[in-house]
Amino acid sequence: MIPVLRLDRVSFSYGAVPALAAVSFAIAPGERVALLGRNGAGKSTLVRLVAGLERPDEGALWVGDWDTRDCVPEQLAWRVATVFQHADQQLFAPTVRDDVSFGPRALGVGERDVERRTDRALEDLGLTAHAGHHPYDLPPALRKLAALAGALALEPALLVLDEPTIGLDRALRARVTRVLLDRSAASVALLVITHDLTFAAETLERGLVLDRGRLACDEPLAGLVGDATRLEPLGLVPPPVAALSAALDLPGRPVCAADAARALARVARGRLAP
Amino acid sequence: MTGGRLHPFTLLAIAGALPALAWILPAPAGGAWTLVVALALTLTPGASPGFTHIGSSPGWRPGLVVLRTALLTAAPFWLFLLLLHDVPTTIATGLRITTMVASFVWLVATLEPARLVEAMVAAGWSASVAYLLAATISAVPVLKARAQRIVEAQRCRGLSPRGGIAARLRALRALALPLVLSALHEVDERALALETRGLVPGIRRTPLAPPPDPAVEQAARWALLLVCLAALVRRFIVPRFV
Amino acid sequence: MRSLTLDHASFWYPATESPALRDVSLEVGQGEVVALVGALGAGASTLLLVAADLAPRVTGGRLAGAVARRDRSGIVLPTPWTQASGMAFTVWDEVAFGPANLGWPTHEIARQVDRALEQLELVPLASRDPATLSGGELQRVIIAAILAMDPGLVLFDEPAAELDAEGAHTLWRLIRLLAREGKAVLLATSALDAIPDVADRVVWLEDGAVRAVGTPDLLADVAACDAGLGTSVATVWRAGGLPEPYPLTVAHAVQRWR
Repeated sequence: MIPVLRLDRVSFSYGAVPALAAVSFAIAPGERVALLGRNGAGKSTLVRLVAGLERPDEGALWVGDWDTRDCVPEQLAWRVATVFQHADQQLFAPTVRDDVSFGPRALGVGERDVERRTDRALEDLGLTAHAGHHPYDLPPALRKLAALAGALALEPALLVLDEPTIGLDRALRARVTRVLLDRSAASVALLVITHDLTFAAETLERGLVLDRGRLACDEPLAGLVGDATRLEPLGLVPPPVAALSAALDLPGRPVCAADAARALARVARGRLAP
Repeated sequence: MTGGRLHPFTLLAIAGALPALAWILPAPAGGAWTLVVALALTLTPGASPGFTHIGSSPGWRPGLVVLRTALLTAAPFWLFLLLLHDVPTTIATGLRITTMVASFVWLVATLEPARLVEAMVAAGWSASVAYLLAATISAVPVLKARAQRIVEAQRCRGLSPRGGIAARLRALRALALPLVLSALHEVDERALALETRGLVPGIRRTPLAPPPDPAVEQAARWALLLVCLAALVRRFIVPRFV
Repeated sequence: MRSLTLDHASFWYPATESPALRDVSLEVGQGEVVALVGALGAGASTLLLVAADLAPRVTGGRLAGAVARRDRSGIVLPTPWTQASGMAFTVWDEVAFGPANLGWPTHEIARQVDRALEQLELVPLASRDPATLSGGELQRVIIAAILAMDPGLVLFDEPAAELDAEGAHTLWRLIRLLAREGKAVLLATSALDAIPDVADRVVWLEDGAVRAVGTPDLLADVAACDAGLGTSVATVWRAGGLPEPYPLTVAHAVQRWR
């Protein structure tokens, strides 16, 4: 099976400033991957390379069987949908509905299919009531969701998200988690930059950690996220639920809130002091 | 001598004198000479600070970027002129307009907004006024950077900026509206945000690094003004007495 | 000493029927850190704008009730890139922009800027061009820029939003330091898990009105957990059906567990 995304010793520099050094990894269809690391570690640069906005200086990037060096971003949009960090720079239509349907329409998808995809994306993110509004009339949090809806409407094989939860409250973060898990079950792969390890633990399964442009870590998130000694040199901190799990030595060391609650309930019987 | 090291007022004077002379001096020779000077300025080494770190295409030397921008910006005007006028008028007016465009493009590329603010504050202008003028001049590279981000976002959603005229026009329209709207939207936010940085009228800003203003440059500015006035007198007033 | 006092303050944005702030009474003392929590749209950002004297003066709209400020205020907005001057060559110049606008003498400016850069661990970035900084780095620069103006009342609106774990940790430590120096700090944040280590008091805003005021223990109340405003530990504890009082942090949970 061809991986949805494959990086083969990719290096990239902005002029004289190195940003990525010999990064290699592959993502399978439906896989949910977190891209972690300090600010400035190279995460956003990697996203630009995957979107085709930059070409690697060395090495190769494959989206399916396409070498990105032979592709332009509008071509890659057939397979990869990218949501960059600031929603305002990606909303450009007079209404939310127009903006969400922009992508599939630009790809030349049939009108009925455009409607279907747009309706589905709006509904999944709870934006149907705002479909007729101008994007700038929405509060910032909903603008972020509108940008995400636009990417979902492209129905890509790979969704690349740069900090999708900044500015969202707990309820909206849960909504995003649900939508992403849904799509992943339908074989859409996810590559998500986030510094919210709680969100990562709830939504994603594998962690790629960048450190000064190098891939320092590539392993299942469940084990990584609770391990303070591994995370600290990479500038990361275990999220509260994982830290709680470790501190109380809960069986299975759950990192998701739901799993942790269940484990607590099971172990608590008979243990708690009044 | 690099343009970036001249006093900001000198740069403003040059950028103002060239178009003024282009219109005052008899066409087409007047326009042609001033245009040659303006285009030559775009090739000077100093004409790069405003453009280098904001969206300049790799592979072009800085001087050529400015020249290219000036010519590309002026091109549509020539098109309109050809449609409306005969050839001699087109050439005469076209040269003058191109001088204006080239001077402005050169000014934006060379004038560092921070230096302009410092120069104006040192000359006694209020910080808010200085900032407003400098922000207007630096609006161009900011808009350019923003336009690039919008284009990138649109490309990532499948919109191709290439193709035939129809496709390019469509892409341009898809860019124009969001560019203006997002700029306006940000103006709102920025007005509020800049208040938070102490930009309130009535307080004398402390000059941090006022640009040096050698007597030579001051004299040159006066000389430019006199040249413009002399040209004005010679062109319009003297003939009445002859 | 009270640095900021709101007395039955209500605020309406221009051309809006319903108030963004409803009868809010609140005090922030010197040396105190008060955290504002609430759902999106609850009014925390508006309250900060009122406290900063930006609403209604710059935003327009109508204010009822009284607002009293003892010190100069500085506010860090949730969109730090809008606060950047756009005309500084280096991070040092950017941070000096504010103090220079205030007309301070050069040596005072240098002192404040150097101090602010150190507090935000920005010294290695001091000669970088602000346009080349990442979002998180820029956020720290803007925080330094506001602190360099030496405000007595410091207002933060989601200051850790773009920061990574280390940056956030430095920020929370800095906020405690500001309080120790005698500044008053009012902070709107959705980083609920950080609040127990940062804030002395928590104000829960709902629909523009104050729903509850208390110590950070407020975030382990049943009501807070139900509203999605409990700390992660408290929320998980409650979801596991364990009895009250819910622990606020991992350390509290470990104590309860023994």
